[in-house]
Amino acid sequence: MGIHDVTGESDGALVQRVLDGDTAAYAGLVSRYRDRLGRYAMRMLGNRADAEEALQDAFVRGYRSLRRCTDPERFGAWLFGILVNRCRTLGGRRARRQRTVVHDELALSRASVRDEGEQFALRETIRWAVAQLPSANREAFLLKHVEELSYEEMTEITGASVSALKMRVMRAREELQRLLSEVVHD
Amino acid sequence: MTERDMLLERVAEVLKEPVAIDPDLDRRIMNEVRAGPTVRAPIGPVAWLIRRRVVSVSPLGGLALAAGIAAVALLGRSVWQATAPSAAPPSATVAATAEPTPSLVQFVILAPTAGTVSLVGDFNDWDRSATPMRPARGDGIWSVTVPLEPGRYRYAFLVDGQTWVADPSAPSTFDDDFGPPNSVVTVGGS
Repeated sequence: MGIHDVTGESDGALVQRVLDGDTAAYAGLVSRYRDRLGRYAMRMLGNRADAEEALQDAFVRGYRSLRRCTDPERFGAWLFGILVNRCRTLGGRRARRQRTVVHDELALSRASVRDEGEQFALRETIRWAVAQLPSANREAFLLKHVEELSYEEMTEITGASVSALKMRVMRAREELQRLLSEVVHD
Repeated sequence: MTERDMLLERVAEVLKEPVAIDPDLDRRIMNEVRAGPTVRAPIGPVAWLIRRRVVSVSPLGGLALAAGIAAVALLGRSVWQATAPSAAPPSATVAATAEPTPSLVQFVILAPTAGTVSLVGDFNDWDRSATPMRPARGDGIWSVTVPLEPGRYRYAFLVDGQTWVADPSAPSTFDDDFGPPNSVVTVGGS
């Protein structure tokens, strides 16, 4: 995951500028990856406050550890790995808090199926179903089917083996199929 | 396409939709970045060697480099070692002196198909060009010996400039967020 666009510098060039002391150049990397990484965090954590906390934390940690980015042209993939870990940490903390909002979201999604238009209801139901997945399976599903990473890239980011990741993706798909069938056909 | 495939495709489409992120987030990130220390490029190997004190290398250091664990055992010093069970097993061997002076630490990895191998770690600011490893013998073993002052160091091997290899038989660290776990070596007294 790296970007070479015609309107700006490559990831590697921006990283080098930062390492040369141009701290402001880091804003270019933030701007470049905020939306994609923000989407992952939002899908993984399920609410904007946690997602933005994870995102900010990942970018700040990325800056402070920039010397350890061994392939600056693939800064995005490296930063993605940091974000994945931040989401794991925040997700675990959230689970320990036993938030009641999860139940509220469930009620909302089911209400939506009945009360809103079909497309809106399906969208809400899908988000609810993804939130029900075990975090490891949700993580693998998002990286594979939303971020469209290869299993090799996923291994690099998560540290899990290819076979373990394939198993998680398969289980996520089966669970989504089961959950969505139950809710949509209620 | 089956009904199940269509459903999962729809799931992916929905999840790919953009999300609204606070437009002020960039400013908050940069404020926090600027509030901390400035990140600088790692220093080069020459500066690194100069910064560290002159190291007294034991005459047995060369023997340790060549013969690994056996040579270290001859030194009669405290030894930390790791063996490598995989096809490309890395290992590190430490002979630490009781003095608060740099100790020779030998890092070894078996990588028969590698074109280049470098050692990266806390001790060289994770600079992949600072500590290249050399083929110690003609059988795929790469080795380098570096002086390390007493302390705890995280390290890994970088094979062909892109494959990050932690030492599977050495203690690993999971106390950061920067990708696969690294290995840990502790250099201490005798």
